[in-house]
Amino acid sequence: MEGWAGKILDIDLTSSSINTVPLDMKMARLFLGGRGLGGRLLWDLVGPNVKPLDPDNVLIFSTGPVTASSIQTSNRFNVSTKSPLTGTLLHANSGGWWGMQFKRTGYDVLIVRGKADKPVLITITPEDVKIEDAGHLWGKTVFETTETLGQNRNKRNVLCIGPAGENLVRIAAIMNDKERALARGGPGAVMGSKNLKAIVVEGQERNRPADKEQFKFMQYETRKLLKANPITSQAFPEFGTAVVLNVVNEIGALPTRNFQQTQFEHAEKISGEAIADKILVKNQACWACPITCTRITKTSSGKEGEGPEYETTWAFGAQCGVDDLELIAETNYLCNDFGLDTISMGSTIGCAMELAEKGFIDADLRFGQGEKLHDLIRDTVFRRGLGDDMAEGSYRMAAKYGAPELSMSVKNLEMPAYDPRGMQGQGLVYATSNRGACHETGNMLGPEVLALPRLIDRFATQGKAGIVSVHQDSAAVIDSLVYCKFVDPAIGVDFFARTLTAVSGIYFTADDLMKAGERIWNLERLYNLREGFTSVDDNLPDRLLNEPVAEGPSKGFTSKLAPMLEEYYQFRGWDENGVPRPEKLKDLGLADLLDVTT
Amino acid sequence: MIDQRLYEEFRYIGRDIFVTGLTSSHGGNMSVRVGNKIIIKRRGAQFGQLKPTDFVVTSFQGKDSGIIRASTELIVHRAIYEKTSALAIIHCHPRTAITLSLSRDEIIPIDNEGSYLLRKIPVVTVEMASGSMEMANIVSEALRGYKIIMQRGHGCFSIGQTLEEAYHWVSTLEEVSDIILEHKLLGEPLIEYRKHSESYKNW
Repeated sequence: MEGWAGKILDIDLTSSSINTVPLDMKMARLFLGGRGLGGRLLWDLVGPNVKPLDPDNVLIFSTGPVTASSIQTSNRFNVSTKSPLTGTLLHANSGGWWGMQFKRTGYDVLIVRGKADKPVLITITPEDVKIEDAGHLWGKTVFETTETLGQNRNKRNVLCIGPAGENLVRIAAIMNDKERALARGGPGAVMGSKNLKAIVVEGQERNRPADKEQFKFMQYETRKLLKANPITSQAFPEFGTAVVLNVVNEIGALPTRNFQQTQFEHAEKISGEAIADKILVKNQACWACPITCTRITKTSSGKEGEGPEYETTWAFGAQCGVDDLELIAETNYLCNDFGLDTISMGSTIGCAMELAEKGFIDADLRFGQGEKLHDLIRDTVFRRGLGDDMAEGSYRMAAKYGAPELSMSVKNLEMPAYDPRGMQGQGLVYATSNRGACHETGNMLGPEVLALPRLIDRFATQGKAGIVSVHQDSAAVIDSLVYCKFVDPAIGVDFFARTLTAVSGIYFTADDLMKAGERIWNLERLYNLREGFTSVDDNLPDRLLNEPVAEGPSKGFTSKLAPMLEEYYQFRGWDENGVPRPEKLKDLGLADLLDVTT
Repeated sequence: MIDQRLYEEFRYIGRDIFVTGLTSSHGGNMSVRVGNKIIIKRRGAQFGQLKPTDFVVTSFQGKDSGIIRASTELIVHRAIYEKTSALAIIHCHPRTAITLSLSRDEIIPIDNEGSYLLRKIPVVTVEMASGSMEMANIVSEALRGYKIIMQRGHGCFSIGQTLEEAYHWVSTLEEVSDIILEHKLLGEPLIEYRKHSESYKNW
């Protein structure tokens, strides 16, 4: 294969049918792969009449044209589905080895439809695809399942759900390679609804570049820039993603106690530096990655595992008012074993803590009660008591108890670890993200805090819409090729275009890719419009719009979303209701989807 | 329409471009894209002495009277915003880069910083005068694959997410060009220190 394998594996669990169909190469050139291609296929397969946990919803596992090519970070893959948490189009992606291994089975995409009548697992090799009984695995945790199925890092890779997915918890993740997660929006619940426990892949085919000399040059240049950049060569390897925790706290943008404050007084205790000092055993890399941001950690009780990442450290730390780093690390291991999105889990617990403190729920629960985290998580996974409400995510839980405004979410997806009152552009990112509040679809940490590519005023609003849009489009490109976003500080879309050209033999410019990113973003917008979402849903929690920060470097600020949103719709070529104008869709090659806008 | 923060950015970058000799007193132009509008330096305003009244806010697609005061090359800026993801554009007249463009079809840096940041700067030829549709098409098409390009005998067009980023590429281009020229004047053979440097030609 040169970029694309040209094949889709299409499995219907209801009928146990297995089919191989050709990949539409015109579609592939327009939507690239990964998130873009997954979204486009979802458009055709899952309409507004399908509920997320119905058998008619599908799981689309998609790789990109650079996946398994051995260009740096080419290990990642995507899942697209309709989210049981948000009702929007959902895309989630993950690293590790599974994506590379799946591509080596000779397929670009795996579509899973229907529902098996009993628990099953799928095994895929270049020669054979099997659907087998998985009754013996149902009820087992992620770690048990992964080991039972013979995970072997470079040869045989396991993707599965844990009890959270089986129990249709709306914040359940799909896990791969034991501790990597397709986390956000509840894809694990969709997999559970299909009685699909695991997918095992063993591949041997190669993604060989069409232009070997140019590819070698791009590999060399990419390595050179990753080594030269202090974030990719020093900060991430040394401290992991939690390297930003102290920085975000210092500027007054670290959400604390369910976004009631923007600085956590014990931030240093849970920072990347503290992880490196106290619990780090070693760092580790995904396949073909020189950055090595993964933390292998061990607590004093002898428990060992991956992480915690920045967002997880925040979610069970500042968000819940907890400063016990070892407890946070063990909570992360527990969530990985159950198959849970740690951001949504931690944020939902923080929301429950505020609901209890303010008397909306009758529970002995307060901020800072770290000792209750594990029981709350088990109750969520097995849907016991308050945990049954938490399994629905923070918005449904808070709404049930009469205080939906205490859910710190957008489109029902819990916000990650940046307070928009201290980073105005980030508020626009959250409000407009197609999968709900998300930092992976155009994070403004770069321009507003880290000076990537240049430092801009984090409190300014004019001009932010353009920068947010460009970052959203480039993130869509990265998620569709599929690269890891952590190369972004060092290399940009011009590198991606030249590498894709070398891999596929098809000429792409940087702006061909940016156009593809914009196309993907508009496709996702159209999908959500077709589902009934409107501009009203491009919003932020009332707290962020109307409660000024009480103290610290962001003191006095609220999110000034309205002027940014107006400018954003204009920049995007959308009307005042946030609907893409016909001429914009025609320009992007989406004219065939025009019906949804009329 | 133009807020204080944005004005300050125009002002200090315009000043720096002039005092570092990257353009003559009135030559060149700058713009940013905000929403569906372009904010561009007015025609004839001095780069080093920009005032809040020296800017024109015009539509992205055209069809407004603001163009009567805008820079001659507004049409080029519009085409660039149309065809690329640029949010800011600087056009100016860096002398050494213009000198090199008179005899080369591309400027390939020989210094480390320039190689790292730019790798190659293509040179395009435009027959018609500044502000022509021909120029708009050729320049905007070239910028789809590069962050800065040279128009032969005229000047550079540089793009970025901010004016500061676009300015960085202009400043780097002129440094690159000065080094190439001085090395040529020195007349000694280049000792190549960059692996795969021959591939920069294909960038």
